[in-house]
Amino acid sequence: MMRTVEVIMVIVILATAFIVGSLFAVLPSPRQISSLNLRELALTTLQTLDERDELSSTVFQNSFDPSWGYLETALAASLPSNVVYNLTVYDAPATSNGTMVYTPVKTMSNAQTGLGASSETASVLIPSSDVIFTVTPQKISASARPLTLYILNCSDANGWWITGYTAQTLAADLYGMLSPYFQTTILVNTTQQLGLLLNNTLGGRDSTNSVVINTFGEAVPIPAGYYTTKGYRSSDRSYANYTYTLGRRVNTYNWTWVSIVGYPFYYVTNTNTFSTTQNTYGIYGMRQIGTDGGGGPSGLNAFLRGLDNQAYSYDDTWITSNLGVVQLSPLATSDANYYGIRPSPYQTSTRALPTSIQSTYHLSVASLVFNQVGSYIAGATYKHSGRGSFTAIGLTRIPDIRISVLSLLMYYSPTLYRSLFTSSGTTRLVVLQLGLQGGG
Amino acid sequence: MPGATIDHLISATLFLVAIVLFISLFSQNIQAALLYQRNHQISVKASDLLDAISLNTGYPTYWGASSATPTSFGLQDPNARGYHLSPFSLMRLTSSTGAPVYYPKTGLWYSNVTMAPGGFLLVPYAACVNYTTSTQLLGVNGSYGFQLTVNPILRISLTELRASPLQIGVNVIGPGLPLANAYVSYNLIFTDSSQKQYPIFRIYSGDARTYANGSAILDFPSITGTQNAYSLIVNAHLGGLYGTGFFERQYIDDRFIVPMVKSFDNGNGTATILLAHSYNVPPLDKTTPAAAIFYNATFLVLATDAALHPVLIGNGTVADKVVNGNGDPYGQILIPNTNPGILVVTFSYGNNYGISLLPWGIGNLAVSLTYGPNSSVKDWVATDVRQVVVGGVSYQIKIALWSLAGYQVQGSRWVF
Repeated sequence: MMRTVEVIMVIVILATAFIVGSLFAVLPSPRQISSLNLRELALTTLQTLDERDELSSTVFQNSFDPSWGYLETALAASLPSNVVYNLTVYDAPATSNGTMVYTPVKTMSNAQTGLGASSETASVLIPSSDVIFTVTPQKISASARPLTLYILNCSDANGWWITGYTAQTLAADLYGMLSPYFQTTILVNTTQQLGLLLNNTLGGRDSTNSVVINTFGEAVPIPAGYYTTKGYRSSDRSYANYTYTLGRRVNTYNWTWVSIVGYPFYYVTNTNTFSTTQNTYGIYGMRQIGTDGGGGPSGLNAFLRGLDNQAYSYDDTWITSNLGVVQLSPLATSDANYYGIRPSPYQTSTRALPTSIQSTYHLSVASLVFNQVGSYIAGATYKHSGRGSFTAIGLTRIPDIRISVLSLLMYYSPTLYRSLFTSSGTTRLVVLQLGLQGGG
Repeated sequence: MPGATIDHLISATLFLVAIVLFISLFSQNIQAALLYQRNHQISVKASDLLDAISLNTGYPTYWGASSATPTSFGLQDPNARGYHLSPFSLMRLTSSTGAPVYYPKTGLWYSNVTMAPGGFLLVPYAACVNYTTSTQLLGVNGSYGFQLTVNPILRISLTELRASPLQIGVNVIGPGLPLANAYVSYNLIFTDSSQKQYPIFRIYSGDARTYANGSAILDFPSITGTQNAYSLIVNAHLGGLYGTGFFERQYIDDRFIVPMVKSFDNGNGTATILLAHSYNVPPLDKTTPAAAIFYNATFLVLATDAALHPVLIGNGTVADKVVNGNGDPYGQILIPNTNPGILVVTFSYGNNYGISLLPWGIGNLAVSLTYGPNSSVKDWVATDVRQVVVGGVSYQIKIALWSLAGYQVQGSRWVF
């Protein structure tokens, strides 16, 4: 009997070991095994509610404002019915020694008591709308040399298709928007200075690799003297040779020439040279570039031939097309968000350039501003296979210079260095705690 | 001596039985622990996979609005970042709920995202990213199965309370409760019966607030009679939640226009939409020759002022006709492919009028989508959910994930 008794004792020992082992080896509940990721749900809920800054606006309201009620309704409506919440907003003013003291200013919850040990929390720090963030743009450069921006601001020239503006006001706006991206920005204030720029002697600076923006719309200023004399060819009685020379300069000095609106180089303007000449619409100081004050399209054709270093020939064939409404390209939309320039994604184009200019003049689209429609492009920067680039925004008047700015930034892609948020006394901390009904 | 032998036999038998019993009991505990660990790993994988899908645009970045097959799978909106999903990428997922539609005029099968009355989203399978491809791109092919469900947070139901003058009831509810005091803005697209053929439309816009029960009433005193068709698109928002709903009244028999996606990207910023005669589309699929349906197609975008604005492209509004026979089998229209909008097709047949809508981007008409096989028949399914924004509309995306590895995923702890 002793052996039987011994075995029974062994069984008792094993049973005790099993029971004790089972008591310590507690398996988690199925809810803990596979629960909702409440932290991510809380975070995405806060982000969704702040999609159009409504959460940011509400948390700075006084506690009696009805928007708190709207927030509470939205919060309860957006969460699954088995999820309970507790949302607390803290004021986060900075003390004199720089430490942050969080003070609760508003709490809302649909739970009677605490949310349980398994609840999760997410928080967002919301700055007040009057906080200013510092953004430092990278200076646009090429071959490690910062580029210079030239904006045509000639006082002795008139613009066309810039209705409602003057070239000078556009130049001032462009200066404000683009000068942070350039080491040096120079306003070319007279056609005489433009002549110096074309000679590469303006201010004693080498203008190689620079950007030149023509703010005069469909007209281009022409300096008196050499360029007027050389630009006019008696054989075709036109100034197309002037824009041919411009094309040659863009190629020689590797400039990027920007046309902000309409048909580029359609008119030539100088209020002294053409003081008695008008553009057939009553604007004196300019004329169409082509034969006997007509043939406006010859200016662009000659420019492109010059850019491609082809021999000069007079050609006043109209090459643009009327596309109607065009849409920003995906890259333009993305860059518009990045640079904080938000023109309407839909614009009207009546002077879109044909894609055939790429093969004819050895150009390639370096950045597409508007989606191509058929075989026409409403706005893009074209890069020559050798040197020089040409940005043509073939939109109808009135010009939106933000499009021109966007096209340049797309082409050069400068980086924006955003400052870290360090403002104090203007933030509120929103903490959303979520739990599952039944605790856990 | 016999006593000792019996003692031996009893003790040995007891000992063996006890050993077998306790080995079984201990192994049950260990097996259950391993099982729990594996199931927990599925849960973690579900959360990771949902983030991988929601926070990655895929590659090419704008694959949703193109005809490209992605080489990396993700649904994030490349223009917005964060938990914003691309309304176009979602359109290119093969719907697993709607019955596939075969259109004999093109010889193609179409993924049926929705064929709600008046609102259509039919995408050719060839242009869709199927489930198998996405599992391969996500690196879970053969190891995990999943189902994605994308649903708008707010449900906006609309009912016609009175036909003449027109009165519409609006009801706005979320998953938890009705949305009281919500701001409601609406656009009523109303066919103009003065044009017998190629009917044009007018838009009536306005706004309202919901009552405590989430309902509101919209009155249109100038719209009388019952002979005109309309589509009502309602947007509601409160406290950062945004939703959309639509409702239609058709005054036409079983002849109507069915818009289908033909291509997502023509290479010039446009997509092609095909406009089919309903007689050629299941469930009708009639061979009886019928008179032509005359239509007018316009692409509308919802601007920040909550109003619908037409976008002209190519020749602008396209007016044409379709028949179910050999001539004019279907129409085609080009729309811009990178901006969400709604293609509105107003049509007429005799004195009957109707409107068909195609949302370009699933957020515009708050379309729901289910992608992947049915999870309800799987043994152990882990789920996770995120709040996201699709085209400015608040959505929830839910993943259900299960293991395909073949090990036991369910078990009982006690066998005795």
